Amino acid sequence: MDEKKEGLNRREFLKLAGVAAGAVALGGTLGETLAQSSKATKQLSVLYMNQAGYTTQVVTEMAKQFMSLYPDIRINLTFLPYPQMHDAITTSVAASTATYHVVLADLIWTAEFIDHGYVIPLNPYITPEEKQGIYQAIWNGLEYKGKIASFPFLANFQNFYYNREHLRRAGFEAGPRTIDEWVHQMEVIKSKGIVKYPYEDSWTQAEGLVCDYVRMAGMFGNGNLFEGGEPVMNRGPQLKALEFMVMLMQKGLANPASIEADEPTAARAFASGEASFNTNWTFVTGIMNDPKQSKIIGQGVVSTFPIVPGTNPKTHSASISGFQGIAIPANTPKELIPAAIQWIRFAASPKIQAEHLHSQWPVWKSVANSPAERRINPWWQVYQENLEAVYNRPKVPDYLHVSAIIQRYVHQALQGNLSPKSAADQMVQELKALGG
Amino acid sequence: MEGIPTQSTRRAPSRFFRFFTGDRGLALALLLPSLLLVAALVLVPLIYTLILSFQSATVNVIGGRGQLVGHWVGLRNYIHLLTNSYFLSGLRATLYFFAASILIELTIGILMAHLLNLEFRGRTLVRALVFIPWAIPTIVNATLWGMIFNGNAYGALNGLLPRLGLGNGHTVWLDTTPVWPHVPLLGPFFQWIGMSRGMNALIIGDEWKTLPIVAFLVLAGLQTIPKDYYEAATIDGATPWQRFRYITLPLLGPILSIVLILRTMQLVRAFTIFYTLEATNIPVLSISAYQQAFSFGYFGRGSAVAFIIGLISLFFAWIYIRWLYREEVA
Repeated sequence: MDEKKEGLNRREFLKLAGVAAGAVALGGTLGETLAQSSKATKQLSVLYMNQAGYTTQVVTEMAKQFMSLYPDIRINLTFLPYPQMHDAITTSVAASTATYHVVLADLIWTAEFIDHGYVIPLNPYITPEEKQGIYQAIWNGLEYKGKIASFPFLANFQNFYYNREHLRRAGFEAGPRTIDEWVHQMEVIKSKGIVKYPYEDSWTQAEGLVCDYVRMAGMFGNGNLFEGGEPVMNRGPQLKALEFMVMLMQKGLANPASIEADEPTAARAFASGEASFNTNWTFVTGIMNDPKQSKIIGQGVVSTFPIVPGTNPKTHSASISGFQGIAIPANTPKELIPAAIQWIRFAASPKIQAEHLHSQWPVWKSVANSPAERRINPWWQVYQENLEAVYNRPKVPDYLHVSAIIQRYVHQALQGNLSPKSAADQMVQELKALGG
Repeated sequence: MEGIPTQSTRRAPSRFFRFFTGDRGLALALLLPSLLLVAALVLVPLIYTLILSFQSATVNVIGGRGQLVGHWVGLRNYIHLLTNSYFLSGLRATLYFFAASILIELTIGILMAHLLNLEFRGRTLVRALVFIPWAIPTIVNATLWGMIFNGNAYGALNGLLPRLGLGNGHTVWLDTTPVWPHVPLLGPFFQWIGMSRGMNALIIGDEWKTLPIVAFLVLAGLQTIPKDYYEAATIDGATPWQRFRYITLPLLGPILSIVLILRTMQLVRAFTIFYTLEATNIPVLSISAYQQAFSFGYFGRGSAVAFIIGLISLFFAWIYIRWLYREEVA
């Protein structure tokens, strides 16, 4: 007969202890999860872009600030590189419920997003103060047929950069004000052997090429590639711009490497002292004065763009817009829209933008004109002038297709495979066939 | 009562039922999870893509719900693509990239395998070193070659060559201008097939990464060939070429068919190195499929390009299997 022992033997004790420890751990985890979910009742999935200025670190910090202010909203951030942004947004919109409830949107997608109903027009949510407080040039870029596709977040545009030291050695006191002056300065710099190729730009077959082409057309007097819905690249300033770009290549004033260079590559050429001129986005200002990235510390100058005399009478410059806004996809659940608006207002607020003046030019006039901005950015006036002088790329719903055609023919002309006129004619013909 | 089966006179299980019993049933049961996964992850998307390729499909948001809406257009997407000169130039560029790469792999890859099969001191170390490029992620490899081929004076190759007394340090290695455009016949032909300095640079960059795996697969095949065959052939007076032609090549048939099928599929749909180094400068099929579907929003046309990629791979796979099978029998 087995005699029952009182109390627990070693094995039973260990079993019980294990169960108890498991229960405590499970209880703790569950408790924590429940506590978190009871605080954050709304989960907002937000898509951002890996970029300079508002970096992943900055935006993550921004989200933490927001969640401490609004504990009922949880921000789940996803960061993607620019080339993947449009695809990610489109595929999210194609789903019955949005993967991303708030997205960073480039201005070139404005017409597509509004025309196809991919995003909620933000007009009802925008106050008159917000409308007046932000540069009109930025609103123009993010609006299509009276509908606002996204709330202004990033005021990116191009500046004209030159190397003061190169110009001084070539015998020039200041940068060029006109296109003829610019060409003359480049020719002198080249002939004196200061650099082999005075200018480098981002002319690989990508979106950056369209930006430069539009801006060049603007410098010749009209950066609008469509007039009355018709493509006009084969005449007037638009054709002259293409001829000018090809001439720069043929004369060896522009580096042949430009046809394979993107914006960071062209910026590096300028910062390394290999090029005397660069036309690029605002991030170059930071690079040219960063000892880790630049060999031209103190030599880089930010300027307005040289233009054909008599053109652009109001602005005396011609730049290109690269604004980004924050949008709400149309398949975002209705109950999340107020939270999305709250996040947008916070992320794009003057207060937040004022905290990041070192890295990014603000969208708000009050912040751009603040003493802090003037102290931080010695080129603030030039920035203002170039921002006011921006041209937009064509605002058409099938812009990415239109852009691909423009890129292809401009690139063919730059490579010397087609004459500028022939390239422009074929470009116009194909765009007309597209219905652009 | 006649006609009503009793317990003892019940009919034997049908042939259909018997098919699923016994060992075969067990095998099917074990295979079922894999079959279901293949169906869900391969067959369903494949069939959906095929259907999409016959549709004009775009993304729409109706009542706050996103969806892909399409209507039947028959072969219109395929006709549009196959009559579009830009698409056809991309198709030729894809085939050039594929053919040039395969040629390199079949020659240098087999040569490398032979060298690695020789006995020499430090062979294990050499084998390990040769294999390193294969371990590098494709995007990292592409970026690496982008730095090497950078057309500025600070590019690695442009920086190195002038120090060796070669070049002027300003060569645009990734230039997609056709090679020798002004040479009669040859220039237009190179332009037609999409051969450019940029394309050749990409082939070098891609081969640097993929040659090791080809060499190692061939090496594995070489190690299965008995040395007696070579000894007997040598005694019979066979030359090195004859030994290679009549022993090595036929016995490598099965492994070569695997290598060729694998590499053909990879080469025809190569995307990363093109997109990273050339953006859309070279409109190979994968770039075209991506642009049509995700940039332009023509999901039907993008699906058609994807199917054309698949059909090309299938066509070459069929040729390899047919050719190499015959070779083995001979």
